[in-house]
Amino acid sequence: MKNLIILSILGMLCFISCDESFVEIPSETTLSTPIYFNTQSDFEQAINGAYAPLRSLYNGTYGAWAMGELRSDNSTYKYNPNDRGTIQGEYIADFIEESSNGILDTKYANNYYVIARVNQILDLIDGVDFDVDDKNNIKGQALFLRAFCYFDLVQYFGAVPLHLTPAATLDETALPLSDVDEIYKQIIADADLASELLPDKATQETGRVTTGSAKMLLANVYIVQKNWSEAETVLKAISGYSLLPDYNDVFDPSMKNNSESIFEIQYKEGTEGFQSNFFYTFLVQPITADEISVVTGITEVARNIEGYNIPTPDIINAYEVNDLRKDATIGYISASGVDYPYIKKYAHPHSLTNNTDDNWPVYRYSEVLLFLAEALNEQNRTDEALIYLDQVRARAGLDGSTATGQNEVRDAIIRERRVEFAFENKRWLDLVRTNIAETVMKEYGERVKANPQDYYFPEGYGVSPSSYTTINQLFPIPSSQSELNPYF
Amino acid sequence: MGSNLNPKKNYLLNLIPKLLFVIVFLNLLQITQSTLHGQNSLATKTISGTVVDKANLPIPGVSVFIKNTSIGTITDIDGKYVLAQVPNDGIVVFSFIGMKTKEIMVSDQLQINVVLDDQSIGLDEVVAIAYGNTTQRKSTGSLQSIKSKELTDIPVTQFTQKLQGKFAGVNISQGTGKPGQGLNIQIRGAASLSTNSSPLCVIDGFPVSGGVIDLNPNEIESISILKDAASTSLYGSRAAFGVVLITTKKAKSGKSNISINAYSGFQIVPDKGRPDVMNGTEWARFKKEYYEDLGQSVPEAYQNPEQYGKGYDWYDAMLRTGTINDYSLTISSSKGKLSSSVVGGYFKQKGVMLNSDYTRFSLRTNVKYDLSDKLTIGVNLAPTYNIDNSPSTDGQFFSGGGMLSNATLTPPILSYKNADGSYPVTVTTPGVTSFPTPNWVRSIKEITNKTIDTRLIANEYIQYEVLDGLKLKSAANVELVQTLVHYFQPSTAGRAFASAPGQLTANLRETNRRFWTWLTENTMEYSKEINGHNLDVLAGFTSQKYRYDQSVISGYNYTDDRVETIDAALVKNNPTMDIQEWSMLSYLTRLSYDYKSKYLLTASIRRDGSSRFGKDNKWGNFPAVAVGWVVSEEPFMSKFDWVSFLKVRSSYGVTGNNNIGNYTQYSTVEGDVNTTFNNTTYSGSAVTNLGNDDLGWEKTKEFDLGVDLAFFKDRVALTYDYYKKETSNLLYTLSVPIESGFSSFTGNVGKIRFWGHEFNINSDNLVGKFKWSSNFNISFSDNKVLALSSLSDQLIVWQGFVSTRTKVGGRIGQYFGLKQEGVYKNQADFDSSPKLVDSEVGTIKFKDVNGDGVITTGVTENDDRTEIGNPFPKFVYGFTNNFKYKNLDLSIVAKGSYGNKVVAALEQGMVNLDGVFNVLRDVEDRWRSEENPGAGLYGKTTGSTSHDRDDFHSRYVKDGSYFTIKNITLGYTVPSKIASFIQSLRVYASVQQAFVFTNYKYGNPEVGVDFNGNQPSSTTQGIDFSAYPVPRTFTFGVNVNLK
Repeated sequence: MKNLIILSILGMLCFISCDESFVEIPSETTLSTPIYFNTQSDFEQAINGAYAPLRSLYNGTYGAWAMGELRSDNSTYKYNPNDRGTIQGEYIADFIEESSNGILDTKYANNYYVIARVNQILDLIDGVDFDVDDKNNIKGQALFLRAFCYFDLVQYFGAVPLHLTPAATLDETALPLSDVDEIYKQIIADADLASELLPDKATQETGRVTTGSAKMLLANVYIVQKNWSEAETVLKAISGYSLLPDYNDVFDPSMKNNSESIFEIQYKEGTEGFQSNFFYTFLVQPITADEISVVTGITEVARNIEGYNIPTPDIINAYEVNDLRKDATIGYISASGVDYPYIKKYAHPHSLTNNTDDNWPVYRYSEVLLFLAEALNEQNRTDEALIYLDQVRARAGLDGSTATGQNEVRDAIIRERRVEFAFENKRWLDLVRTNIAETVMKEYGERVKANPQDYYFPEGYGVSPSSYTTINQLFPIPSSQSELNPYF
Repeated sequence: MGSNLNPKKNYLLNLIPKLLFVIVFLNLLQITQSTLHGQNSLATKTISGTVVDKANLPIPGVSVFIKNTSIGTITDIDGKYVLAQVPNDGIVVFSFIGMKTKEIMVSDQLQINVVLDDQSIGLDEVVAIAYGNTTQRKSTGSLQSIKSKELTDIPVTQFTQKLQGKFAGVNISQGTGKPGQGLNIQIRGAASLSTNSSPLCVIDGFPVSGGVIDLNPNEIESISILKDAASTSLYGSRAAFGVVLITTKKAKSGKSNISINAYSGFQIVPDKGRPDVMNGTEWARFKKEYYEDLGQSVPEAYQNPEQYGKGYDWYDAMLRTGTINDYSLTISSSKGKLSSSVVGGYFKQKGVMLNSDYTRFSLRTNVKYDLSDKLTIGVNLAPTYNIDNSPSTDGQFFSGGGMLSNATLTPPILSYKNADGSYPVTVTTPGVTSFPTPNWVRSIKEITNKTIDTRLIANEYIQYEVLDGLKLKSAANVELVQTLVHYFQPSTAGRAFASAPGQLTANLRETNRRFWTWLTENTMEYSKEINGHNLDVLAGFTSQKYRYDQSVISGYNYTDDRVETIDAALVKNNPTMDIQEWSMLSYLTRLSYDYKSKYLLTASIRRDGSSRFGKDNKWGNFPAVAVGWVVSEEPFMSKFDWVSFLKVRSSYGVTGNNNIGNYTQYSTVEGDVNTTFNNTTYSGSAVTNLGNDDLGWEKTKEFDLGVDLAFFKDRVALTYDYYKKETSNLLYTLSVPIESGFSSFTGNVGKIRFWGHEFNINSDNLVGKFKWSSNFNISFSDNKVLALSSLSDQLIVWQGFVSTRTKVGGRIGQYFGLKQEGVYKNQADFDSSPKLVDSEVGTIKFKDVNGDGVITTGVTENDDRTEIGNPFPKFVYGFTNNFKYKNLDLSIVAKGSYGNKVVAALEQGMVNLDGVFNVLRDVEDRWRSEENPGAGLYGKTTGSTSHDRDDFHSRYVKDGSYFTIKNITLGYTVPSKIASFIQSLRVYASVQQAFVFTNYKYGNPEVGVDFNGNQPSSTTQGIDFSAYPVPRTFTFGVNVNLK
């Protein structure tokens, strides 16, 4: 009897279920793929998530401005002899090529984050049944984003791996480089399909890409490919946009996604993590808290590393007299007691330091006009071209262009683009696609070397002797990636 | 049972009544037992005698008692004892530390004199093994055991620190001197690439999840370290890095004992090992030259360097004399059926760095009750409460921590204290506008980083001997830890050179963590002896579950530093939550057989299923087999009578590693990649983890061949082990090309081979009046990578600016960087040498390893980086000597390492040539001009200085060999009786971290904190990112045993 009691006590102790489910515990804080991508709402969230990396692509000290603008003759950096530790931007600006430069990684990684996320959507969305218009809208956005990101990659790096389906195994994470032509073919196909699937700006949720965005992207591709007639056709199909009367308003966060906006990267100030900080990244440093407060009017902290994207004397002088855009684009701020220019386009009231509300303009209607002007001029329809060019000039308070003949008009359009889109990451790619990067940047380099103090170098300092000797049109694939990918 | 049952709920429902039942039951039994006790009345008498050792010298303090009773005494200074009320059928037990215990039947004797033998080797002493006990004589595995008595005098927070130098093949290094932190145990090399290769710690049969940092060392009775697969494989998927078995104090049968152990002392940071940076005058001169070399006018502040004299020693300003106090009371009693042991402890250490301290309150109650000869139940309860104030002292300078490093870098011409005795908030270097420098003395004092841990470990078990030799045991274990971390940085304290202190940088972070784990084990053991054939069979079933919850609230921008709550923060960050869970089911069995203790065989297997692994690879089997032959028992060995013991043993087995984190096998969809469109927030999601259905165990196959040998009547004992293990399916989170949208993939990749030789010698060099015994152990080990992932044959791992490479055909974690070849001395040298993109005459010169004429880093095909150092020692060794003369005893513990390289990563700030930080004194001898090219170590201040500093290269790699006298203790056993209730009294003085002999310049050659001040992983060993100094500790202590 006694033994029986004891045995039953022991039996009681062996109470744990021995079945397999005991060792199967899904995460309580994240969802896993087998139970995801089953409903319309899942895909809606997924497309929202696909936009998210664009914020990091454009914002921050390694943002898109570094390769798009700092690389060009429009902007430079404020050399800080006290801090030689954070100088990746200098190397981009000075044509000192190092594939280990972290700025390259930011560009490369964020584009591929978007691509992977939309590949996941495109791979699975047709297997789930829901409203066809809603589905087409999501697919259209996904295709636009994929085309947009590959276009960014191919313009800066040339041949890159072309992932069109999500990686599911270790071996699928690496692909060989694809031909530039093949990548362009895919971009055109995606953008074209996106322009068919997407609704127009009037019906689309504000801030998302539209059929207009897709057409603009497609036109941009044709422009880069010098396919002028296709470009003209697509550009002329873009409708529903107009120039704002005041250039200042274009960048005003209180007028986000206005009638001129075709595609902009969306930011929002506050603690949710959607803020931008262009103004702070583009400040001359070292600068005291009080000196920043003069401009922002809020409590600031001193910034002491290095200032980037500082307007060069070249861009300041590129504005025609009475160009209303000059004051809207460039302001002056005192840093450590000396006045320096800064980019005013992204300086607007906000309440927390390093936390601004400014969106980044990617495509604006004025670029439709200037692309049209270019496409027409290249097709020897110079008079037609001038009509569009002058529309942009008129808004800036300038008279019609006096350029005549195809060559003069070509130069006038590039000049116009330079000031109209100053600090919108257009300049470097314009120099490359018009084949003048080498000449322009070498000449610019000579000026920097001759007068370093004009380019904000302290007394006794200047660029490194090897600067501006080789003007590479493409950037190398980041070494962090060539270390990992066995194909390159 | 049904699959719908919630195991957690199920468990709770069962456990609570069980615990209550046992506790109530025990109390009842205690009452009945005490009433029963008075009934024992047999014929008694008084006996007496003398206890001597082999040299016929009397031994005072020997405990003499009657087995299974409370009757007992101790011998006096002449070794004499008198014991009254001795029953005729009693057994007298004589026991003394370091001697073999002797038991003698009383019968009709009135005078019992005994000679106690030294217990030098303890071949027959019981040692703990996985799920049981054995003796060194009969064990077939490679294991080593130590009694805590040998360790009591070492004044340290953690018991692991006491083990330094004691075990062959076990490298215990102290990476940081932070109170209560920083011991890194590696058994037989780093056996993995995954982040954690620490051994499994098992306290009284319970593998604890929270580590053993907060365990009061005084609670420990003995520690066994299991090294080979045959010893560890019963712990299956967690055993690959070895197992540390901790047995806590239980009452000895028939004895009552009260003992007090206490010590008190102070700690200092020795001068040797502090960074050799410039003083005020030297630094001002460096700045003067900096401006001269630029061709600029020298600012007034630097025109007369001598005005600064020695300047201010910022490093020293962060330090103080620390104090250390430890009090522990042990009461143990075993009377009849009930035995209990209670250990209460209080430990307090005020660290040598300002505002750092560690306090621990601990209690352990181990109670066992024998319901009958066959039925035993027991409960162990061990609550602890500790408070740890730990400023962010460790890690790299600049940001993220590393306050000591930051202080070292502050220019010595700046004062941390105003003339009126107040402390400035910031200090500013003339001519330097970057790097706003907080007053680090204020920072360390004013930033609160307080961790409060409340933890409970409970074991309860019931054991029943159903038949003779057949035992059933059921045990339930719980570990519960509640942690609160309060971090507050006021507006007057900065943490990094990157930002000045101020209202905006004032911030709060409040972390609330809780984890609990439970484990149930049901085992059955059957032992049988037939004609010299001993058979022992064990079988069991266990299940364990773990859950961790964390929530964090944080905010910044405080207008008033006095209210440290989230409510006062002007900006509140979004709160976050984390939940982690894992579970495990296991079956285990072991068969042990021996014939006359001469031929030994053990075979075991464990089967583990874990929630951490992919659905196609849930279960793993971990078998092991071991054989032993006690050669000295063979008749033919009688010729060699100088050999007292000889055993040859060999084992082979498979163990696993599951340190992979939870949920890594799933492709997880992250829900917080939200987006905004036109100022509206949209919730977003993304697949952020690349899943792996095949994710499984990391398997280690280990072969061990060992010999145990003793000579000259056990006066000299030698153990040798050779091991070779191959770890395959290495669990590793490898970086994958970002083009996939993923940055990493967790999988089973590659294969690494480890092998080594271990020697351990114990020797009684002198016996007799003057006693001297030694232990020397040495272990050689090495590793080779046999395969890695399908994408790459190498892994590059970064820690700050330092990188290591693990490449197929080579070793794990080799330092990987450029080789310095001086500086470009002059134009001719510059013109004729390969260069970096922005090299100039006078800047640092690296070796063109691939011979392509340019220096490049990073790109695989034209990379000039190469392996520049091996962090693994050729051998490590320990040397302990004990001396005893009359009442005096002396012990010296030493530990050493030879052949390993260390990266002095902390120099990165101290060789900054931009003139913004204090620099090493030898920077004086840098390149200044072709006429004055310096020693060729450092380039000019006016060129591109970042390569000199930020490109990892051979100048940072140093010799890491060392020999450290870890502890010296001198003790004195007070001979005469001070008071009647005192059984024995010993006083001692001790020095910890007494001397360090090394070429490494920075204090602690046992480096081991990573960039962020945490414990490094296997691939980033030996990188010194500036850690809390390991102090020298002087203590005075007493051990008192009361009657």
